Amino acid sequence: MSAPDSNQRKACWGTRDELWKCLDYNQDNATSCEKFQKEFEASCPAQWVKYFTKRRDFLKYKEKMQTEGFEPAAGPKASQS
Amino acid sequence: MCNSVLFVVCVELLRFILTRSHSRGPFSLPLFTQRVALYQGPNTSTAKIRLRTRLVVTLLFGGGLLGTWWYVRNEKQQNHRMQRIEQLKKVALGQGDFSLLDHRGHRRTKRDFLGSWVLLYFGFTHCPDICPDELDKISAVVSALDKDRSLPAVQPLFVTVDPERDDVAALERYVKEFHPRLIGLTGTPEEVKVAGKDYRVYASPGPKDEDGDYIVDHTILIYLVNPDGLFLDYYNRMKDDVQIAESVRNHMKSYVKLSE
Repeated sequence: MSAPDSNQRKACWGTRDELWKCLDYNQDNATSCEKFQKEFEASCPAQWVKYFTKRRDFLKYKEKMQTEGFEPAAGPKASQS
Repeated sequence: MCNSVLFVVCVELLRFILTRSHSRGPFSLPLFTQRVALYQGPNTSTAKIRLRTRLVVTLLFGGGLLGTWWYVRNEKQQNHRMQRIEQLKKVALGQGDFSLLDHRGHRRTKRDFLGSWVLLYFGFTHCPDICPDELDKISAVVSALDKDRSLPAVQPLFVTVDPERDDVAALERYVKEFHPRLIGLTGTPEEVKVAGKDYRVYASPGPKDEDGDYIVDHTILIYLVNPDGLFLDYYNRMKDDVQIAESVRNHMKSYVKLSE
């Protein structure tokens, strides 16, 4: 299976951007964006679908950390001596 | 912070010099006080001369201050640059040799690229977005530098971290979509590993899916190598093509100076 060429890459990125726009508009409600999800999966290799999905999750998480702040997990308690 | 302090000093000096009344004050400069003592009275032409003199002195003084500040800033920047080059030389990446096949099937070694400035990037053709972005960036940098006829031509190189799939044909298909001078390099897994190790490139193929497709996690850096084959600098995702072109230009200029 050969790598996608420039046009295929751009087509994939296009459907991904459409999907992400829809998700942003619908507060990440996946059911409202099923059509875009199908188009996205049709124009991108499966590995890329997984990669971009993970990427979006990461970007959302990062945004959350930057706006809502970060609670560090409780580490090992310091010794009393 | 230095700039604002200097600015405040200049403004205060200006204010002081231009608004000094005719009476002697504890902070009067002897020169002005003397002039004031000699030219008493509401004589408008001498008042103008006084003002003009003050203006000239102020401008000269201000100019001198500005000039000094400019000079010191440039020296500091140059020092910074030299320090960084020394630090990166100590890191000593790219000291070894590599032997790879280019996208036309010709064998190329590191020696073949001595004498040229090289922008080196490690990636793979099945890369979803980062490698095309970085290669587009490199293409933009090379095109921008090409416009300046006084600079030597930069050689962009793309070395695969996925030799299993990226053979000569795959590379040929891939590199032709970027800058015409971009050379793709591949080889046996051993040869590719040697090249990657030289630049401490991290590369880790991910799990294969049912198509046998996989993503390779890898270091995303553009390396600048000088005509002596010495690693001089690196650029990450945060640097845009304008910043990289500027940095390469600066390296080229300092390089010429050292060899003179």
